[in-house]
Amino acid sequence: LRARLRTSAADWLWSGLIFTPFRATIAILISISLAILSISCGGGGQELLLGATTSIDDSGLLDELVEAFEDGSGYHVKPIVQGSGQILELARNGELDVTMTHSPSDEEALVDDSYGAERTPFMQNYFELVGPEDDPVGVGNAASIADALRAIAESGSLFVSRGDQSGTHKRERAYWAEAGIEPGGNAWYSESATGQGQTLSLASDRSAYTLVDSSTFATMQDRLNLSLLLRDEQKPNVYSVVRLNSARLTHVNDEAAHAWIEFITGDRAQQIIAQFGVEEYGEALFKALLLN
Amino acid sequence: MDLIWDGVKEAVRLIVTGNGYVYGVLFTSLYVSGVATLIALFVGFGIAAILAFRAPPGRVIVVGAFNAGMALPPVAVGLLVAILLWRSGPLGQLHLLYTPTAIIIAQAVIATPVITALSVAALQSINPRLRLQIAALGASRLQAAVLLFREARFSLLAAVMAGFGAAVSEVGATIMVGGNIKGETRTLTSATVLEVQKGNFETGIAFSIILLTVIFAVVMGVTYVQQRRPPA
Repeated sequence: LRARLRTSAADWLWSGLIFTPFRATIAILISISLAILSISCGGGGQELLLGATTSIDDSGLLDELVEAFEDGSGYHVKPIVQGSGQILELARNGELDVTMTHSPSDEEALVDDSYGAERTPFMQNYFELVGPEDDPVGVGNAASIADALRAIAESGSLFVSRGDQSGTHKRERAYWAEAGIEPGGNAWYSESATGQGQTLSLASDRSAYTLVDSSTFATMQDRLNLSLLLRDEQKPNVYSVVRLNSARLTHVNDEAAHAWIEFITGDRAQQIIAQFGVEEYGEALFKALLLN
Repeated sequence: MDLIWDGVKEAVRLIVTGNGYVYGVLFTSLYVSGVATLIALFVGFGIAAILAFRAPPGRVIVVGAFNAGMALPPVAVGLLVAILLWRSGPLGQLHLLYTPTAIIIAQAVIATPVITALSVAALQSINPRLRLQIAALGASRLQAAVLLFREARFSLLAAVMAGFGAAVSEVGATIMVGGNIKGETRTLTSATVLEVQKGNFETGIAFSIILLTVIFAVVMGVTYVQQRRPPA
């Protein structure tokens, strides 16, 4: 009896495997996995890994651009949408072919460190300070966003920050530095560490001030109890495309990356950008920078 | 509360109007979590059979590890799988990152400890004398295993449901290895996260309700099998 029970582990594994009701599914399972594997291994050369920041996607612009590009080129785009900070970090690891972000100093650093091959600004919008409609601090009359932030800090009014290393968060930090104030650690300053939409909802809920890009605010304004109080016309929010350096990052799909650069800086994409949102919001959400 | 009610209405509207995007997301969710659960089931039942019947040396440690594995942080699994599947990573040649297969792998890793740990408990709770009796009656190892698994079927099906629940409700790893790509790797959970990030709370609630409905339907199916009287 002992000998009988003391069978090999492999035998038990097998008997576990062919537990009756599931016998037929083994074959199905294996064939499915093989099928998937062969499909996903096939199209490596024609695939473009495009890292894009959330504000391009949230508005719906990214979908239109990707569709137009795929339509003409035969490439298949995989858009990875995250905050600019995460996108540029993935790029440094060679896990993307091109990036579209709005964090100029980080993009320049990417190129300077030779991870990025070229950087081209291709569209822009504006940063806006938004807050409760009655604007208790009166930031609407401030001369600059830095002045407005100083007034918010002095009055101790609530301010919600993205707090996620996104392009918007980086710009917000720059404004605070300009104002000469370190907001971190104050009770009136909170970091949502989430996307732009959630940050706006939080600010709306708490009657707080926050910084946002003009495109996202235009698309979400209807659902918020927030008003546009001050727009920075001096220093726009610039979106740049960076082609990653295939000499340094060996896995980069150079051909696809070049094709995307050509597309996004070309007439067709620039027209799409210039027209985007005109119908729905009465004005374009982004300004195309390379329109002839 | 209005938001939840709006979400319910939105969910019904999305399902009834046959919204292609929603059905695609729903299909992706069921497909990846279904396959992941199947993989976890085979691996989990196999390991559980060895651990419960064979009592290999160090069993306590292994069983303890699987019990702890039930609390494996999905985001940690996602990060690990993502780094392994990176183009520059050891498995980069397979080009699996940002595909449904990548999500299946991550979810299978998450569901396997759940199914294994609960199955070990289920098999160990069988009266040990039954095993001796089955062996004494001259059953082959295969026949014995089938009988013992059948004996524990209530608890084993519960283990499978728990595993499927862990897989289908997972989101952190799913986004990390799948990339949340529309039409390819967007699942009910990652679509919910996206809508919430955009501030579309009622659509987020709608997706959550659809997800809960799906889980309920699947689990009801398995429960029906579990509760039905065995053929005499």
